[in-house]
Amino acid sequence: MISVSDISVRLSGRQVLHGLSFDAIPGALTAIVGPNGSGKTTTLKAVSGEISPSAGRVTINGRDLASLKPWELALKRGVLPQSTVISFPFTVREIVRLGLSAGVDATSHDRIAGQALEAVDLAGFSGRFYHELSGGEQQRVQLARVLCQIAAPVVDGEPRYLLLDEPVSSLDIRHQLTIMGLARQFCAGGGGVIAVMHDLNLTAMFADEIVMMKAGRIRARGAPKDVLTDATMEAVFGCRMRVNVAPAGGVPFVLPQSAAM
Amino acid sequence: MPRSDAMDGAVRAPVFARIAGEWRNGNRAGLARLLLGALAVLAAATFASSIMTGAADASLANVFRWLIGEADQTLSARDRIIILDIRLPRAVLGMLVGAALAVSGAVMQGLFRNPLADPGLVGVSSGASLGAVLLIVLGSTVLGPVFALFGFYAVPAGAFLGGLATTLLLYRVATRGGQTSVATMLLAGIALGALAGAVTGVLVFIADDRELRDLTFWGLGSLAGANWTKIAAAGPIIFLALAVLPFLARGLNAVTLGEAAAFHMGIPVQRLKNIAIFSVAGATGASVAVSGGIGFVGIVVPHLLRLVIGPDHRYLLPASALLGGTMLIFADMLARTIVSPAELPIGIITAFVGAPFFLWVLLRGRSNMGL
Repeated sequence: MISVSDISVRLSGRQVLHGLSFDAIPGALTAIVGPNGSGKTTTLKAVSGEISPSAGRVTINGRDLASLKPWELALKRGVLPQSTVISFPFTVREIVRLGLSAGVDATSHDRIAGQALEAVDLAGFSGRFYHELSGGEQQRVQLARVLCQIAAPVVDGEPRYLLLDEPVSSLDIRHQLTIMGLARQFCAGGGGVIAVMHDLNLTAMFADEIVMMKAGRIRARGAPKDVLTDATMEAVFGCRMRVNVAPAGGVPFVLPQSAAM
Repeated sequence: MPRSDAMDGAVRAPVFARIAGEWRNGNRAGLARLLLGALAVLAAATFASSIMTGAADASLANVFRWLIGEADQTLSARDRIIILDIRLPRAVLGMLVGAALAVSGAVMQGLFRNPLADPGLVGVSSGASLGAVLLIVLGSTVLGPVFALFGFYAVPAGAFLGGLATTLLLYRVATRGGQTSVATMLLAGIALGALAGAVTGVLVFIADDRELRDLTFWGLGSLAGANWTKIAAAGPIIFLALAVLPFLARGLNAVTLGEAAAFHMGIPVQRLKNIAIFSVAGATGASVAVSGGIGFVGIVVPHLLRLVIGPDHRYLLPASALLGGTMLIFADMLARTIVSPAELPIGIITAFVGAPFFLWVLLRGRSNMGL
């Protein structure tokens, strides 16, 4: 379990997060949603260990983040950044294999890297240059790299985690579904996923737990049907709109057409 | 195709076909290993021909026979001095300095995530020069104790500290939140270089005749003053600085995705940066101390290699060392023979090749370097 307890974060003198607490349990997809600038990415950075909170603490499988070395963390969680610009001409294969750690024999390297590219629907791209790909393809290459680092959802009985910062932001609708399905599959295998999301409908479809943020605080938390309500939509996004429920499965959905600004 | 067929094909296919197949598949490791072998041969050949080339006619074959102790061959005293005390140290120093400069360039480019970073361009060499000049000029007076303490390591140590201070300052100025601005880096480099140059100017102004001769000789950038003492002073520093770098290769690869991503992949980024900066400062400082400011090796060599084998530092760093050494020895051969029996400073040759090359890189990559 990743446990965030009462963390506050200051960035260049300004307090960005105010006493956040939530848990992300293995086997579940936890989505962080909220308006622009509400602190979603900062929260993910605090969970990844990239920035250390000024107060409170984050634990991963019971270990305090601050006590773990970078390589120990890298075995427990993989992080997909929003976008990655590279100034050197790496091929897709070379980028993906950066995620493989040393020590595993080379034959399984090839297998893991191949499976990762296949999983993100980029089989056959390994000889292409990264900088010549589209934004969405680059994002999927990065995800394949993360999947190389965290290939199995559970290792030695210990669950591992994927931290995804807007994993589907620049993808077409088919690949949005592919990637979210991949995250679900990782959860089904016993791992945990924390994803910063913008698309509320995909969130409602795929998330088990939603953490809804506004201005550096958690405003609502729980299952999609409990969090995505007319009241929270207006309170958090400042957007008066109707949340509806699809007949099959009871998944809520939001139509922007219903908004009254 | 079933996997076993592919494996059989791979075994049967000639080595070049296999490497070409891997290359199409985005795997340039085979090509890189092949190139490393070729570069090693090229380096050895260039090294040998450099020892045979020169204004005087001294034959390597004779030296070789003398070295393996063929009794009937006696090496003339003149040949021995020319080859063992003039050309050999010069070739060794060329190899060391070329390797140091090329690898320093490659490491800085990886660290700054920018193909235009080069110790010469961003003022690190100027800072190292300042450190060296400081010790040459003030060594007989104010800084006398330093000489007493370090002996002939004093000038390289001064250059190292000068280079280190500049590199650290540059990194502080140009990097914010783990992202390095290209424009800031180049402009800060110009400013730091100018500042170091101004202070160096003041020191040259107050230098006496003998120190001035030392300075002029050294400042042009030349391997002409090569001797075994210089190699003993700079060699260990360069060797140490280069020896740690293979351990940084994986980290530098990860850092090309950004410092945050490297941390996510388990790289201790801050330690990596510290070691890399110290190594660059050491290698550049020691090179500048013994051969003056030789520019552009650090930008030309890694760039050419990246075109062929890609940016993987595990291959890029050793290949840069070999090609850098080879290119500098070759440039030195040109410097010695074009206007023979006189000599051109080698810095002129590297600048003639390197400056247009730099412009070409700049124009080619302008769109994706954020300039």
